[in-house]
Amino acid sequence: MRFLPVIATAVFIADAHALVEPALPVWGLKERAEMEATGWIPGAILLTDAPVPDEPEHAAPEPLQVEQPKPEEIAGDLKPSSDIAEKFLPAYFAERPKSFLIDPQGLLSPADYRDRLSFLNYHASDSSIDLFVYVMGGEQDIPSEVREEEMIERFFSEGRPAVVVYYYLGAPQRSVVYLSPSITDSVSAAEQHRALESSVMQAFEKIRPAEQIEKFLVQMSIRIYWMERMLAGEPAAGDAPTHVVSAAMTQAAAKSAKLLELQELAAKFAAPAGMVLGAIVLVLGFNRWLRLSARYRFPDFEVEPRLGGAHAAGVGAVISFASAAVPPASQRDQVPDYLRRA
Amino acid sequence: MKCPRCVQRIHRAAASCPHCGFTLADADARFGAEEVRIRCLTDSAGILRRGDREKVELAMEKITRRFPQVFVAIYTGSLGEVANIRQFGFWLLNRSAFEDVPVEKPNEAGILITIDPESKAAGMVFGYLLDPFLEEADTFECLSRAHAYWLEGRYAEGILRALKHLDGILRKRSRQARRDPEHFERKVMPPAQMGDLVRRIRAGHRPVIEEEATAEVLP
Repeated sequence: MRFLPVIATAVFIADAHALVEPALPVWGLKERAEMEATGWIPGAILLTDAPVPDEPEHAAPEPLQVEQPKPEEIAGDLKPSSDIAEKFLPAYFAERPKSFLIDPQGLLSPADYRDRLSFLNYHASDSSIDLFVYVMGGEQDIPSEVREEEMIERFFSEGRPAVVVYYYLGAPQRSVVYLSPSITDSVSAAEQHRALESSVMQAFEKIRPAEQIEKFLVQMSIRIYWMERMLAGEPAAGDAPTHVVSAAMTQAAAKSAKLLELQELAAKFAAPAGMVLGAIVLVLGFNRWLRLSARYRFPDFEVEPRLGGAHAAGVGAVISFASAAVPPASQRDQVPDYLRRA
Repeated sequence: MKCPRCVQRIHRAAASCPHCGFTLADADARFGAEEVRIRCLTDSAGILRRGDREKVELAMEKITRRFPQVFVAIYTGSLGEVANIRQFGFWLLNRSAFEDVPVEKPNEAGILITIDPESKAAGMVFGYLLDPFLEEADTFECLSRAHAYWLEGRYAEGILRALKHLDGILRKRSRQARRDPEHFERKVMPPAQMGDLVRRIRAGHRPVIEEEATAEVLP
């Protein structure tokens, strides 16, 4: 232990000596001449003292000669759409539509028109809320002189409740939904918005405008089913994305239809069934009453007296309940005491 | 049919037990020969509370209503160490006059349940009217239903259970008797006399069933 400071000092000095860096190698002129004679010196580009040459200069590309848009064209792009031609306005907005699908401009092909109208008719037969669809061009606008709310109130205040959709073909995101006044109070604005949003999302799953409107209408029909339930006092459909649960909703709608059929059947046969059931209960009750009030008699046979008893000699059983260890089963054989085992 | 004293089988119309010679006179010697006036429900042992008494009386009335020929009596009392409950029941049904039973109903129509809470034994005796219809096993089944309750000192509940089972048995027997009265009549017919036996031997060529039928018809 006495040599420990000495050893530590020695180690410290040795370390300090080791920290001194060795000098860098230096080219000797002779060595450099020899290497240059071989033609190549590794890392020569870095070891030279000459300045680094500049990047070669590239010529700037010539701009493409494209025709610039004219000012009037740029102004035209700013206009999103054009108004519906005046000649179609009466067909759209003059009176309550006779058909559920209003397309006076013939934007849908006849086949698509027929299919969509067929679907809307089916919906009307299955639902208590009608669905009216006004088809307009994707870039068209309803003229400002047409007041949609007023028109809805005027045409759809009477009759069956209805959902009116202004559908812009090829641009389902521009669609607008109105509800007839009789159901406006019952169906919240949020629910209307959700219905429209989910229908638009469904429409965007397709590319062709005709397929878009088909998806839109199917989804809107499903949402109207939920509106019906809200009208009946049931809570609205959940906030879950409807495109996820739409299949379940379709099943629920089908189930509801079956339920309605069953209810109709029940209503039809309830009275006869109740009468039959009542009759059965009555018969069973009467039978029970008969059994309870029945009187039982025994034939009177002449029995010769025994053992001197004038009235009775029918000695029945005797049972002992002195101990739970002697159950009735062990007392079944009634034998004289002297025959019993101890 | 068994003797109340020796519990051996005895034949119909035996004037006394062929095994031990027991007669009612022997029971009279032990319990008294005088007529005893009691009510159908006599709780001498005091084991039934007032509410219990009402329930038991209702059950007894129900049987009386359903079987108009029959009445049920229940006697509870301490018989002492030497008394035999089987003999006592036999004696009581023959010597008692039930105050609350109409005179047109003789003791032959009675079913008497005797309970001795001291010796912890119970017995059931019935009159001649029910002789063809009730077996010893039937009465044993009735008392067995009450056994668990009586073990715990719940006498009223035990009696109710026994009476309920008795009600079922009587209904069944009544229906059987209505369908086939001869079956029950044969049980109480007097035994065949010697003359019948001779006649049966002489008519040996006839089928056995026919012989028996003839013997039963003959007085």
